[in-house]
Amino acid sequence: MADQIPNPSTLGRRVNLNVGGKLFETTVSTLHSAGPDSLLAALSNRPFLPGSNPIFIDRDPEIFSVLLSLLRCNRLPSATLRRFSIQELAEEALYYGVESRLRSASLPSPLRGIDAAIVDTIRPASDAVPSTFSAGEDGSLWIAHGGQISIYDSYLSYTAAVRTHLDDITSICRVWPEIAAVGSESKSGLHIYDLSSGRYTGSVHWTDQDDPRIFKARVSAIANSPDSVFVSFDCPHRENSVLVIDKSTLQVSSELTRQSGSAAKNTVPGKLTWLPETGLIIGSAVSCGAFGYSGYIRIWDPRSKEVVWETNEPGSGRSSRFGDSFADIDVDTDDSILFKICSKSGDLAMADIRKLGDDPWVYMEDTNPSLKEASYGENAVHLHCYKGQVFVGKDGRLEVWSSQKGREISDTENQRPEVRFKRNYVDQVEDAERGMINRIEGGGERLFVSRDNVEGIEVWESSNHSGIIPVSP
Amino acid sequence: MSSIAMQSLKLESELNNDVVSINVGGQIFQTTKQTLTQAGPESLLSRIAGTGSDRFVDRDPDHFSLLLSLLRSGTLPSKVKDFDLRDLIEESRFYGLESLLTSSLTNPSHFDGFALQNSSVLPLNGRDCPSVIASTPFGSLHVSHGSKITSFDWSLTRKSTILTQFTAVDSLLALSPDIAAAGATDFSGLQILDLHEGCVKQVLNWENSTRSGSTVQAIGSSGEFLFTSFESSRRNSNSILVYDLNTLNPVIEIGRNEIFGADLDSAIPATKLKWVSSYGLLMASGSHSGLSGVTGSIRFWDIRSGNVVFELKEKVDCFADVCVSDNLNVLFKVGVNSGEVFSADLRCLGSVNNDANDNSNPWVCLGGRRKVVNGKKEGFGCKIESHGNQVFCSKGGDIELWSEVAMASEKTSEGRVFRKNLMGRVKDTGGLRITNLAFGGNKMFVIRKDQQAVEIWQGLSRGF
Repeated sequence: MADQIPNPSTLGRRVNLNVGGKLFETTVSTLHSAGPDSLLAALSNRPFLPGSNPIFIDRDPEIFSVLLSLLRCNRLPSATLRRFSIQELAEEALYYGVESRLRSASLPSPLRGIDAAIVDTIRPASDAVPSTFSAGEDGSLWIAHGGQISIYDSYLSYTAAVRTHLDDITSICRVWPEIAAVGSESKSGLHIYDLSSGRYTGSVHWTDQDDPRIFKARVSAIANSPDSVFVSFDCPHRENSVLVIDKSTLQVSSELTRQSGSAAKNTVPGKLTWLPETGLIIGSAVSCGAFGYSGYIRIWDPRSKEVVWETNEPGSGRSSRFGDSFADIDVDTDDSILFKICSKSGDLAMADIRKLGDDPWVYMEDTNPSLKEASYGENAVHLHCYKGQVFVGKDGRLEVWSSQKGREISDTENQRPEVRFKRNYVDQVEDAERGMINRIEGGGERLFVSRDNVEGIEVWESSNHSGIIPVSP
Repeated sequence: MSSIAMQSLKLESELNNDVVSINVGGQIFQTTKQTLTQAGPESLLSRIAGTGSDRFVDRDPDHFSLLLSLLRSGTLPSKVKDFDLRDLIEESRFYGLESLLTSSLTNPSHFDGFALQNSSVLPLNGRDCPSVIASTPFGSLHVSHGSKITSFDWSLTRKSTILTQFTAVDSLLALSPDIAAAGATDFSGLQILDLHEGCVKQVLNWENSTRSGSTVQAIGSSGEFLFTSFESSRRNSNSILVYDLNTLNPVIEIGRNEIFGADLDSAIPATKLKWVSSYGLLMASGSHSGLSGVTGSIRFWDIRSGNVVFELKEKVDCFADVCVSDNLNVLFKVGVNSGEVFSADLRCLGSVNNDANDNSNPWVCLGGRRKVVNGKKEGFGCKIESHGNQVFCSKGGDIELWSEVAMASEKTSEGRVFRKNLMGRVKDTGGLRITNLAFGGNKMFVIRKDQQAVEIWQGLSRGF
């Protein structure tokens, strides 16, 4: 391939193409920007004889003109999506080998919670109330609903549906790009499905021959890492554990902890996160009773299987926010920051995972006057940290905590600044009336939200289009 | 992909004189001879490709550009939405591309049961509700309502209605987009109808010993044969006749029953006939509701010898409806008492019959927990049909979709795993009772009691 890379003098050379009867004139460098393996780059490497016929390609000229302007200016012409569907463009881009350029050009603007709007609702054809879902890094989506997993690609167009043997899927995790690990609250074990072929490939169960209480263990949470999958299992008698499963063999390689489940501080972790920086695993459990929220956050080191740090709330009186225990937590894995949302005040608190101590929390109070009337203490609070922003679903309302530009998040050396994150509503009043938010997850430049007993998954995106609406006279 | 594209490109450039220019309505299109010959040797475009320099076609260029895209890539571009399908079909007929257009828009291989959603409704004129529907593989549809039969073409954009001699049609089978076989339980003879001309082509009758009329209970067909289940008007004899599908001459008569006395079993005519092509057998099922409950039988006939190969006698929780899935090798039924779906592996049925001749139960309840049989007929009126690798079962106004989960071989101890999904969105459920399901092209057709319309369930597709 190396000998085919043209020298700089030929990059500006002009190339004539005849696509389906229409003539196009462009330069070698434009065609080369498609990437060295593409059909167009291969064409531009042909010896050019003056006076010869232009190279003929038997394809539709209108779509080619769109893809050529994509190569020329690295964006899709604005009217394109009105004339062509994205699937059609993707198929044609695959033919010319410019698919990666199309993918990057058709991405939504960077997701900013303070300026996002609902753009679409993805509804599967049958049993359309999602039980859970998983968002991919490329903005693709797996929806688990009624025992099926429906797959939507990065353009959010329906690809396929796989029926699993489970009646309801309550946790799903991408183990490999095409492999899903799923768990159910009605059936024991972690089950692995190959979604590209639709086949079941195996199960992992938590068993212990010496302990008869360990049986019918169900999956509560799954976290993925490059080598292992971390799964929290829960038995009918509430014994629970976090197991480390080797991804290559699908065997249990170690058990991090075994808890009796007899009190709030040793129930099964409902949320697991693996930290790529340190290799630690963070688990948390929250329960809500008559006296408010209670729960714990625990950090294990999978190598030594020991607890590195833990906190319980309501705990000892050392916490500056006694009686205001957290309702949900999430981890910013890029910056190693732990976030919690306080159940009574609704305040957000953050802690640097690298500098955890007795009371590492920095509280950020709400200064937005438009949010003052909101009442707290509801049962449904969901926290999701994505792209440096913290999205909070409270009942039906979707809020975001975002930091102001120019301030470094991690400079907590000496003084603790009072406010670094500000809270805003993402949604509008009528959005909140659709139902209780039960899951928020970010993927690509999109935020996906599902609600209790509501069909479909909402897609929220940021856009720099104003969406101006003419007023009819 | 790009390597394939490179190959095709090399071919094109090497044979540069294969580039063909066509002037359609003043607009010049360039393509290759290979692309044009995709249209088939008989089509206008292939002939144009063979002619010399002055290739002019006096038609609309916009429509031609759509059809040229179809020839090039096999799919229609999305701008097709700005056009009317009827105009495009007319244009495709002119160029000889209708079959290509058909296979692009209603290809049976594009059928995806999981993606089906209630997408459109075909209204029927008049006050009669549809009694039975019949479809062809590429999705043309015949609907009988009252004494009329309305036919829709594959694109469902055109219809024609004919009047028949029946008061109501009870069995209808599409033999081709223009020919259908129709019969009724209160009318003597099976009629082969030409739906285009609106006339009776032929009437097939069964000569029973009582010399009374012969009513039609069920119609079925294989690639070569037409099967009809007849019952005498006095309801004391019944039979299944096998006709040659092309000549419509009788080939063999199987399962002739004459009733003398009170032999109830033989008095039940077959009400569903289904050809099981993987076994070369004809499934015939019939049931009877009496004082002691519903009894029935499912028989598999070898039509060459005229013998029953195996038979399932249904005494407990008899079927409300049965179907055979050729792809899955499984027989499915809905129990009339329990309303549950049961499966029986066809590969095991032979052995069931050999060792005990009756009592061993081949049925596996797919619902998991078997309901207490309380004498209620939960499954009454349920329909079950198989299509592709899936089974569709109507219960009241809802449709269940049963699909097999491909489990690894280690799990075979559990037997085969089937799971159900309720089709449609919340707004689609709980409608009027479904009376018939049919499949054609990439669509499912549904008719309901007291609804003068046909529902079309279709996956989201490109094009129309």
